Amino acid sequence: MAGSKLFTRRRDGRVEVRMNDYARDIVRSAFSNVLAAERDPEHEWHVALSGPIDPSLDQDDPLSMLTRENETSTNAELAGLSVDEQFLNDTEAWAWLTTLQVALRSTAQSKGLLTDEQLAATSAEVLTYVQTLQHFLFDLAACF
Amino acid sequence: MPSTQPLRRTTTEGETQTGDAVQTQKPWNVIVWNDPVTPMTVVVVIFRKIFGYSNNKCTQLMLAVHNEGRALVWSGNRERAESYCVKLQVAGLQCTIEQDN
Repeated sequence: MAGSKLFTRRRDGRVEVRMNDYARDIVRSAFSNVLAAERDPEHEWHVALSGPIDPSLDQDDPLSMLTRENETSTNAELAGLSVDEQFLNDTEAWAWLTTLQVALRSTAQSKGLLTDEQLAATSAEVLTYVQTLQHFLFDLAACF
Repeated sequence: MPSTQPLRRTTTEGETQTGDAVQTQKPWNVIVWNDPVTPMTVVVVIFRKIFGYSNNKCTQLMLAVHNEGRALVWSGNRERAESYCVKLQVAGLQCTIEQDN
Protein backbone atom coordinates (compact mmCIF):
# COMPACT_ATOMS: atom_id res chain seq x y z
CA MET A 1 0.00 0.00 0.00
CA ALA A 2 2.89 2.32 0.67
CA GLY A 3 4.35 4.47 -2.05
CA SER A 4 1.24 5.37 -4.02
CA LYS A 5 -1.90 7.25 -3.12
CA LEU A 6 -4.87 5.10 -2.21
CA PHE A 7 -7.36 7.78 -3.33
CA THR A 8 -7.05 10.27 -6.17
CA ARG A 9 -9.47 12.91 -7.44
CA ARG A 10 -10.05 12.46 -11.18
CA ARG A 11 -10.78 15.21 -13.68
CA ASP A 12 -14.40 14.08 -13.93
CA GLY A 13 -14.80 14.79 -10.21
CA ARG A 14 -14.96 11.20 -9.01
CA VAL A 15 -12.57 9.78 -6.43
CA GLU A 16 -10.63 6.76 -7.64
CA VAL A 17 -9.98 4.04 -5.05
CA ARG A 18 -6.65 2.24 -5.56
CA MET A 19 -6.85 -0.32 -2.79
CA ASN A 20 -5.94 -3.97 -2.93
CA ASP A 21 -8.23 -6.65 -1.53
CA TYR A 22 -6.49 -6.63 1.84
CA ALA A 23 -7.00 -2.89 2.31
CA ARG A 24 -10.61 -3.15 1.19
CA ASP A 25 -11.22 -5.87 3.75
CA ILE A 26 -9.94 -3.57 6.50
CA VAL A 27 -12.21 -0.78 5.28
CA ARG A 28 -15.18 -3.15 4.94
CA SER A 29 -14.68 -4.36 8.50
CA ALA A 30 -14.48 -0.78 9.81
CA PHE A 31 -17.72 0.18 8.02
CA SER A 32 -19.63 -2.85 9.30
CA ASN A 33 -18.34 -2.31 12.83
CA VAL A 34 -19.60 1.29 12.86
CA LEU A 35 -23.01 0.12 11.67
CA ALA A 36 -23.11 -2.67 14.25
CA ALA A 37 -21.96 -0.35 17.05
CA GLU A 38 -24.71 2.14 16.27
CA ARG A 39 -27.35 -0.60 16.67
CA ASP A 40 -25.82 -2.66 19.47
CA PRO A 41 -25.42 -1.04 22.92
CA GLU A 42 -23.08 -3.91 23.90
CA HIS A 43 -20.63 -3.20 21.07
CA GLU A 44 -17.27 -1.89 22.34
CA TRP A 45 -17.54 1.14 20.02
CA HIS A 46 -21.08 2.06 21.09
CA VAL A 47 -20.00 4.41 23.89
CA ALA A 48 -17.87 6.41 21.46
CA LEU A 49 -20.90 6.87 19.21
CA SER A 50 -23.15 8.14 21.97
CA GLY A 51 -21.06 10.86 23.59
CA PRO A 52 -22.86 13.82 25.17
CA ILE A 53 -23.88 16.86 23.13
CA ASP A 54 -24.45 19.07 26.18
CA PRO A 55 -22.52 17.61 29.14
CA SER A 56 -24.34 19.91 31.58
CA LEU A 57 -27.56 17.95 31.06
CA ASP A 58 -28.40 14.49 32.39
CA GLN A 59 -29.72 13.55 28.96
CA ASP A 60 -29.47 15.17 25.55
CA ASP A 61 -32.42 16.14 23.39
CA PRO A 62 -33.84 12.84 22.01
CA LEU A 63 -34.38 14.40 18.58
CA SER A 64 -30.69 15.36 18.31
CA MET A 65 -29.66 11.88 19.46
CA LEU A 66 -31.93 10.32 16.84
CA THR A 67 -30.55 12.62 14.13
CA ARG A 68 -26.99 11.64 15.04
CA GLU A 69 -27.87 7.94 15.07
CA ASN A 70 -29.64 8.14 11.69
CA GLU A 71 -26.89 10.15 9.98
CA THR A 72 -24.09 7.94 11.30
CA SER A 73 -25.95 4.81 10.16
CA THR A 74 -26.75 6.32 6.76
CA ASN A 75 -23.08 7.18 6.18
CA ALA A 76 -21.94 3.72 7.28
CA GLU A 77 -24.55 2.03 5.08
CA LEU A 78 -23.60 4.11 2.03
CA ALA A 79 -19.91 3.46 2.67
CA GLY A 80 -20.60 -0.26 3.00
CA LEU A 81 -22.62 -0.36 -0.21
CA SER A 82 -19.81 1.32 -2.17
CA VAL A 83 -16.91 -0.54 -0.57
CA ASP A 84 -16.11 -2.54 -3.71
CA GLU A 85 -16.43 0.40 -6.12
CA GLN A 86 -13.40 1.66 -8.03
CA PHE A 87 -14.83 5.19 -8.32
CA LEU A 88 -16.74 7.15 -5.67
CA ASN A 89 -18.95 10.20 -6.13
CA ASP A 90 -18.72 13.06 -3.61
CA THR A 91 -21.46 11.71 -1.35
CA GLU A 92 -19.86 8.27 -1.22
CA ALA A 93 -16.39 9.71 -0.62
CA TRP A 94 -17.74 11.82 2.26
CA ALA A 95 -19.46 8.73 3.70
CA TRP A 96 -16.14 6.85 3.54
CA LEU A 97 -14.26 9.71 5.22
CA THR A 98 -16.73 10.19 8.07
CA THR A 99 -17.21 6.47 8.71
CA LEU A 100 -13.47 5.78 8.72
CA GLN A 101 -12.99 8.72 11.08
CA VAL A 102 -15.75 7.40 13.37
CA ALA A 103 -14.04 3.99 13.31
CA LEU A 104 -10.68 5.54 14.15
CA ARG A 105 -11.93 7.58 17.07
CA SER A 106 -14.11 4.72 18.35
CA THR A 107 -11.07 2.45 18.31
CA ALA A 108 -9.05 5.02 20.23
CA GLN A 109 -11.78 5.57 22.79
CA SER A 110 -12.53 1.86 23.31
CA LYS A 111 -8.80 1.12 23.77
CA GLY A 112 -8.34 4.03 26.18
CA LEU A 113 -6.09 5.98 23.79
CA LEU A 114 -6.94 9.47 24.99
CA THR A 115 -3.43 10.95 25.15
CA ASP A 116 -0.24 10.77 23.09
CA GLU A 117 1.39 8.80 25.92
CA GLN A 118 -1.38 6.19 25.94
CA LEU A 119 -1.14 5.89 22.17
CA ALA A 120 2.64 5.37 22.37
CA ALA A 121 2.19 2.67 25.04
CA THR A 122 -0.49 0.65 23.23
CA SER A 123 0.09 -2.79 21.71
CA ALA A 124 1.73 -3.13 18.30
CA GLU A 125 -1.46 -4.67 16.91
CA VAL A 126 -3.68 -1.76 17.95
CA LEU A 127 -1.09 0.80 16.88
CA THR A 128 -0.82 -0.79 13.43
CA TYR A 129 -4.62 -0.70 13.03
CA VAL A 130 -4.76 2.96 14.12
CA GLN A 131 -1.93 3.90 11.73
CA THR A 132 -3.60 2.04 8.87
CA LEU A 133 -6.86 3.95 9.34
CA GLN A 134 -4.88 7.20 9.65
CA HIS A 135 -3.14 6.41 6.34
CA PHE A 136 -6.50 5.81 4.60
CA LEU A 137 -7.93 9.02 6.05
CA PHE A 138 -4.87 11.09 5.19
CA ASP A 139 -5.04 10.06 1.53
CA LEU A 140 -8.82 10.43 1.30
CA ALA A 141 -8.82 13.88 2.96
CA ALA A 142 -6.43 15.10 0.25
CA CYS A 143 -9.24 14.57 -2.29
CA PHE A 144 -11.51 17.18 -0.65
CA MET B 1 -1.42 31.07 19.17
CA PRO B 2 -4.51 31.28 16.97
CA SER B 3 -7.38 33.22 18.44
CA THR B 4 -10.97 32.04 18.31
CA GLN B 5 -12.25 35.42 19.48
CA PRO B 6 -13.42 36.62 16.02
CA LEU B 7 -15.86 33.73 15.92
CA ARG B 8 -17.82 35.11 18.80
CA ARG B 9 -20.90 36.96 17.73
CA THR B 10 -21.48 40.45 19.05
CA THR B 11 -25.23 40.01 18.94
CA THR B 12 -27.54 37.09 19.52
CA GLU B 13 -30.70 36.21 17.70
CA GLY B 14 -32.68 35.35 20.80
CA GLU B 15 -33.78 38.40 22.71
CA THR B 16 -36.68 38.45 25.16
CA GLN B 17 -38.48 41.47 26.53
CA THR B 18 -38.98 41.45 30.31
CA GLY B 19 -40.80 44.54 31.53
CA ASP B 20 -38.86 47.57 30.37
CA ALA B 21 -35.53 45.77 30.12
CA VAL B 22 -34.32 43.78 27.12
CA GLN B 23 -32.71 40.55 28.26
CA THR B 24 -30.18 39.11 25.81
CA GLN B 25 -29.61 35.37 25.90
CA LYS B 26 -26.02 34.24 26.18
CA PRO B 27 -24.79 32.50 23.03
CA TRP B 28 -24.09 28.79 22.87
CA ASN B 29 -20.58 27.70 21.89
CA VAL B 30 -19.67 24.66 19.83
CA ILE B 31 -16.45 23.18 21.24
CA VAL B 32 -14.25 20.64 19.44
CA TRP B 33 -11.90 18.61 21.64
CA ASN B 34 -8.45 17.28 20.79
CA ASP B 35 -7.69 13.58 20.49
CA PRO B 36 -4.37 11.84 19.75
CA VAL B 37 -5.42 9.94 16.63
CA THR B 38 -7.36 12.15 14.22
CA PRO B 39 -5.16 13.39 11.32
CA MET B 40 -4.94 17.19 11.15
CA THR B 41 -5.95 17.30 7.49
CA VAL B 42 -9.16 15.42 8.29
CA VAL B 43 -10.14 18.04 10.88
CA VAL B 44 -9.56 20.82 8.33
CA VAL B 45 -11.67 19.03 5.69
CA ILE B 46 -14.52 18.46 8.15
CA PHE B 47 -14.55 22.10 9.31
CA ARG B 48 -14.54 23.30 5.68
CA LYS B 49 -17.35 20.96 4.68
CA ILE B 50 -19.61 21.65 7.66
CA PHE B 51 -19.07 25.38 8.24
CA GLY B 52 -17.88 26.52 4.80
CA TYR B 53 -15.02 28.43 6.39
CA SER B 54 -11.90 29.31 4.36
CA ASN B 55 -9.00 26.90 4.35
CA ASN B 56 -6.95 29.38 6.39
CA LYS B 57 -9.60 29.72 9.07
CA CYS B 58 -10.11 25.93 9.25
CA THR B 59 -6.36 25.44 9.67
CA GLN B 60 -6.26 28.03 12.47
CA LEU B 61 -9.13 26.31 14.27
CA MET B 62 -7.52 22.88 13.83
CA LEU B 63 -4.26 24.21 15.32
CA ALA B 64 -6.18 25.72 18.23
CA VAL B 65 -7.74 22.30 18.93
CA HIS B 66 -4.32 20.64 18.67
CA ASN B 67 -2.38 23.14 20.78
CA GLU B 68 -4.97 24.11 23.39
CA GLY B 69 -6.89 20.87 23.69
CA ARG B 70 -10.15 22.44 22.59
CA ALA B 71 -11.41 25.22 20.35
CA LEU B 72 -14.57 27.23 19.98
CA VAL B 73 -15.59 26.69 16.37
CA TRP B 74 -19.02 28.33 16.26
CA SER B 75 -21.18 30.47 18.51
CA GLY B 76 -24.84 31.44 18.29
CA ASN B 77 -28.30 30.20 19.18
CA ARG B 78 -28.80 26.88 20.90
CA GLU B 79 -30.64 25.07 18.10
CA ARG B 80 -27.97 25.75 15.49
CA ALA B 81 -25.17 25.00 17.96
CA GLU B 82 -26.76 21.62 18.69
CA SER B 83 -27.20 20.96 14.97
CA TYR B 84 -23.54 21.77 14.22
CA CYS B 85 -22.42 19.63 17.17
CA VAL B 86 -24.39 16.66 15.83
CA LYS B 87 -22.88 17.12 12.34
CA LEU B 88 -19.35 17.23 13.81
CA GLN B 89 -20.01 14.12 15.90
CA VAL B 90 -21.40 12.29 12.87
CA ALA B 91 -18.17 13.24 11.08
CA GLY B 92 -16.23 11.58 13.90
CA LEU B 93 -14.94 14.56 15.90
CA GLN B 94 -15.32 14.89 19.65
CA CYS B 95 -17.61 17.85 20.15
CA THR B 96 -19.89 19.38 22.78
CA ILE B 97 -21.89 22.56 23.28
CA GLU B 98 -21.84 24.92 26.26
CA GLN B 99 -23.43 28.26 27.04
CA ASP B 100 -21.12 31.26 27.04
CA ASN B 101 -20.08 32.43 30.50
